[in-house]
Amino acid sequence: MAFLGQEEQIREFQDRFRYLYAAVFLVIGLLLSRLVYLQILNGEKMRQYSEENRIKRVKIAAPRGMIFDRNRTLLIDNRPAFDLEIIPQYLRESRQTDQVLGMLSKLIKMPKEEIQGILEKARGQPSFMPVKIKPDLTRDEVAAIEVWKISMPGVEVKEEIKRTNIYGDIAAHLLGYIGEVNSAELPILNKTAQKYKLGDSIGKFGLEQRMEDTLRGIDGEEIKEVDALGRVKLAKGKGRVLENNAGKPAKPGKNLILTIDQDLQLAAAKAFGDKIGALVAVDPRNGEVLAMISRPSFDPTEFSRGIPTAIWNKLLTNENHPLRDKTIQDHYSPGSVFKTVTAVAGLEEGVIDEKSTFRCTGSIRVGNRVYHCHLKRGHGEINVVTALTQSCDVFFYRVAQKLKSVDDLAKWARHLGIGSKTGISLAREVPGLIPTEEWKMKRFGQPWNGGETVSVAIGQSFVLTTAIQLANTYAAIGNGGTHYRPYIVKSIESYDGRVVKEFQPEILGTHELSPKTVELVKQGLWGVINSPHGTAYHQRLPGMDFTGKTGTVQIMRLSADKIYQKCENMKFRERHNGVFVGFAPLKDPVIAVAVIGEHVCHGSTGAAPVARAVVKTYLEKYYPDLYSEKAVAARLKAHGQATFVPPPPKRVDPEDEDVVINDDNVPASDLGAPHVPPGLPPSPPKPTRDTSRDALPDSAVDNEDE
Amino acid sequence: MNHSWMETPESPDPSSTMRVGLYEEEFKKFNWSLLIIALTLIGIGIFNLISATGVQDKSLGLYKNQLLWCGLGLALTALILLPHYSVFSRLAYVIYFANLLLLVGVLVFGKSSLGAKRWIGIGAFRIQPSEFMKLSLVICLAKYFETDRTVGGYGFKDLLLPGLLVMIPAGLIMVQPDLGTALTILATFVTMMLFMRVRTRTLVIIGICCAVALPTIYKFGLKPYQRQRIISFLDPMADPKGSGYNSIQSMIAVGSGQLLGKGYKKGTQSQLKFLPEHHTDFIFSVFSEEHGFVGCAIVLALYLGLLLNGLSVAYQSHDKFGLLLALGIVTVFFWHIFVNMGMVMGLLPIVGVPLPFLSYGGSSLVTSILGIAILTNIANKKFMF
Repeated sequence: MAFLGQEEQIREFQDRFRYLYAAVFLVIGLLLSRLVYLQILNGEKMRQYSEENRIKRVKIAAPRGMIFDRNRTLLIDNRPAFDLEIIPQYLRESRQTDQVLGMLSKLIKMPKEEIQGILEKARGQPSFMPVKIKPDLTRDEVAAIEVWKISMPGVEVKEEIKRTNIYGDIAAHLLGYIGEVNSAELPILNKTAQKYKLGDSIGKFGLEQRMEDTLRGIDGEEIKEVDALGRVKLAKGKGRVLENNAGKPAKPGKNLILTIDQDLQLAAAKAFGDKIGALVAVDPRNGEVLAMISRPSFDPTEFSRGIPTAIWNKLLTNENHPLRDKTIQDHYSPGSVFKTVTAVAGLEEGVIDEKSTFRCTGSIRVGNRVYHCHLKRGHGEINVVTALTQSCDVFFYRVAQKLKSVDDLAKWARHLGIGSKTGISLAREVPGLIPTEEWKMKRFGQPWNGGETVSVAIGQSFVLTTAIQLANTYAAIGNGGTHYRPYIVKSIESYDGRVVKEFQPEILGTHELSPKTVELVKQGLWGVINSPHGTAYHQRLPGMDFTGKTGTVQIMRLSADKIYQKCENMKFRERHNGVFVGFAPLKDPVIAVAVIGEHVCHGSTGAAPVARAVVKTYLEKYYPDLYSEKAVAARLKAHGQATFVPPPPKRVDPEDEDVVINDDNVPASDLGAPHVPPGLPPSPPKPTRDTSRDALPDSAVDNEDE
Repeated sequence: MNHSWMETPESPDPSSTMRVGLYEEEFKKFNWSLLIIALTLIGIGIFNLISATGVQDKSLGLYKNQLLWCGLGLALTALILLPHYSVFSRLAYVIYFANLLLLVGVLVFGKSSLGAKRWIGIGAFRIQPSEFMKLSLVICLAKYFETDRTVGGYGFKDLLLPGLLVMIPAGLIMVQPDLGTALTILATFVTMMLFMRVRTRTLVIIGICCAVALPTIYKFGLKPYQRQRIISFLDPMADPKGSGYNSIQSMIAVGSGQLLGKGYKKGTQSQLKFLPEHHTDFIFSVFSEEHGFVGCAIVLALYLGLLLNGLSVAYQSHDKFGLLLALGIVTVFFWHIFVNMGMVMGLLPIVGVPLPFLSYGGSSLVTSILGIAILTNIANKKFMF
């Protein structure tokens, strides 16, 4: 036989069998002794435990970190909300399902059939898992249920934390919202560690999202023993299996202290009214973001425990995009506020100086196209300071023509922070765009043509920025050339008030602008508000060097005959955007503000008043020695004026009033402004507003120059 | 030893009365013990399943499936008992590769359940090829070692080929993912290798490699839920809703059975669904809750009998293939019993391994019955020499 030769080996194998027998006896012995331990020695304890008690594990949700403004005004808080739950197992055991549901239906005013329907839907899951019947019970309902709970086995009131934005929709985009982790996100979140479970809350937008790891706490748990009817049992020494495991407490998340000032936010929101657009205010000395709002908005509190579909759909389909953060997420054509950049480029490149003048006749011809000035009859002889003040288009067309190429303009725009992300710690920031010859070749495969430089010079053509970029650019001009990264979180504190981390200003770069350039540009910008010829003269703050630039951006391509038509007569969606960017005071500014108002027709009346309200609030609150009734009076006295004298009204031909390409004129209705008492700012003109909204698609900014 | 196969029924024999006598002789010497133990365990299993699945509306008739599979297993047993077991030696590699093909098929056409792809559907039934792989692999290894002439213990080079034979199916099962089955296959292989003797030096090196590799595998090779199970074994309270909870509930179920149990269909832990997977991996906790220490001891005694009988079959086998095949089958049973019961009693981390004959699952049951059938075949043939 084939295996006859194996005999010896088999005998050798047989020797080894004792190890196998030993292993078998060892393992069976081990199992038997474990049985003795569990069933005989601990059997009674286990029996009592299993029959009389059920472990109930209650998650103690860790409170998310709170968010405060720079003065510790509470912005986001965690407030209790009460949900009604039923644990089907206990309900079924009690054999009085019908009565219980009937009683419950009366207490929470919900049809019995509806409750049954919800329970029916949850049939698939283990019956000891609670089923949510009604969220957000009122205090009265909670009280009533607690009273009757004893006769309603399985019915529970569960306290949950509701993330509450105290100021509602004011800073919805900045603060953001939270939502439940969904099954698609779970694997990504738990790549490195088991951190989230289905149904946990997670920041989905704004700071809530960006600071998720800081704000999120560590959930604790409580181990309760409940009887067969789901009621919590009182502590009882005997039979408590888990006496040494009393659970663990929750660890709250860390709090955020923002650089934001809530008073400015409120002032901004009030001044914005129901206008659409964005506002960003920064501190030019360090990059702290003082105010940041986007309108229209939404209330993040509605998101915190699952937003009702109806509200969500309404937000999604709203043509004004309330869910977008217009401060960082939307591109805008800067229009005339870009002229400041052109002025800097012209001065720094040496193609103009303080003595250079051009003659504005109302239009110039470049190639075979005519480029208009907003003032049909022209500004006459004009230099860089007056050109900024009066927003003369022709002057900047000529500067553009003198520059070697659009790249010279692009270089200075980039130096000033336009066309790239500011690096603010919020998700979804868009970079903006500054066209160059190379870019156009790459993008369209066409060479750059000279006429386009002319459009770029007044902030049209392909130029795109964001509100935060504009604020940062003007802050840099205001402080003499230092470029800070805007930041929102000032410090992080633990729940018991220990400072965990403090954020410091970060300098992104310093432009090498000559002092002369800065001086000339600032002078021009000062005139915009403080010179009677300035485009925003009516927005001045008497006694304060409020400085800035208006812009009015035509968003539809208009035919030649319509260029000078009155904006207010156009369809809402075709009206111009208004832009204002400025800072105050002139010397060593403490605040820089950018405002973009969609379809507000004029930068001077649609955007500048909002900026003014914020600047005024800020100065009054923090710099009373710079700006208060007393300070203003002292200052006026120093200037040798006993009282404030309103400037002579600007002489304007009626037909010239309206903005064309991107101007910033004051509407005729405002020209006869009432006399303003000394020391008080003139009341801002009320923007006329057509409420009938057209169903036009929200077309992207049309950058065509004519 | 020279009477050999002259006495097998197939061979012609001059005396007809002798033939009848031999048949009777053979019938008398037929090793019934393993089959009796197995049938007893199957009976207990069905009886227990009726209780375990009685409460669940959707699993109400599951024991009927189990009966059906049992019938299939017994029919196959009759088939297996007929030929000499050397037929497995001849078909070893065919069986192995066919089963490997099925495992690949699972990954391609497999049916998913609870996030894992382990089954191939055939009509209304579905089979789990990884269960059969346990037997196929044991047959294959027995065949490999039968012809292997290594002397003085196995070194790395000698382990390469058998290692490959194991790693391929283990890898395929791992990606299903089915850690439990993959581990039992590996454990079976390791046990057999140790039995065959591995060189001390090789063992030491492997030991060191494992010590280095294990933390790495823990960190990068395991899925989060698998890591969680190990954590919750070490600290059952670490994960409130996860497997730590299962472990505690299972221990409570076992312990609360006390001496005599709560009575048939009266186990509160299982009836109220505090127990997870209570008709498959945690079936023994249902049984211990309802039948107590006495019931458990009986089941344990039956398993002990099964293992000891199996070992003695291997011991008494006259050829290397039979010995190794029997030994391999006993090893598979051994690891299943140990790992499953250890898990249920909170001695081992939670690893999805069925308890032979008691857990619900057709493929597992049929595999176990076939294992017993092969053991019985080997046991009977020893009288023929």
